Amino acid sequence: MEKTPQIGLRLQGDVSVIDIKGDVTPIAGPLIEAAYREATSSGAKKILFVFAHDGYINSGGIAILIGILSESKKHAQTIRITGLSAHFQKIFGMVGLTKYAQIHSSERPPWPPSSA
Amino acid sequence: MVSEKKFEVHVPSVLGCEKVAMDFAASVARTINFPPDRVEDLKTAVAEACTNAIEHGNKLDASTKVGITLTVADGRLQVDVEDEGRGIRDVPSPDIDEKIAGTSNPRGWGIFLIDSLMDEVKFESTPEGKNVVKMIIHLER
Repeated sequence: MEKTPQIGLRLQGDVSVIDIKGDVTPIAGPLIEAAYREATSSGAKKILFVFAHDGYINSGGIAILIGILSESKKHAQTIRITGLSAHFQKIFGMVGLTKYAQIHSSERPPWPPSSA
Repeated sequence: MVSEKKFEVHVPSVLGCEKVAMDFAASVARTINFPPDRVEDLKTAVAEACTNAIEHGNKLDASTKVGITLTVADGRLQVDVEDEGRGIRDVPSPDIDEKIAGTSNPRGWGIFLIDSLMDEVKFESTPEGKNVVKMIIHLER
């Protein structure tokens, strides 16, 4: 019933960009987690999630992102988010995700300086 | 005398069908000129209530259905989502810090979102023993 989302991983300088097109629900979980693991195994310290502006995100999808944010702390990674509609920016704020991942309007957000 | 308009749809207990209910609710809300941000709130609340009904109420049994009734009356829109489960008694208060720390399950946001986005939420049982979540938005807000 649910359509499989399209997840892509690309490099933008030293930033690993994970593109998410489609619904963010538990169905998307393994694909998003696989892209995150691939970025992590390549040594990524800066990861940008690019959501589709018209995508649907449910609470199960939020749980997937929480799992990734939890993992990112162990790897000392910085996560940024862009592409969200105003509604899902509000939802992410309600849930508290914005404490752990800043939301930006640009695909080139500011990043903390890289450690040597 | 207050005129009441009622809209109903039933969806099978299959994950993904909550989007049918979500789009149905959004269509009704737009016809009564809900502002776009409130339509989005309604979509998320209806989708979460239906997902809970499918997963927890009807336990993913595709032979059962989730009933969604929208009632427009008296300056408010009420959405009832009915399943065959036993319902919930308390609204949880999930803690993002605990979930990020890995000390609690990262899931469990559905009821929290419904409660945060709607003006009123009630969890009740029908006389037939079914569970119903009643979500209300005041139109003038």
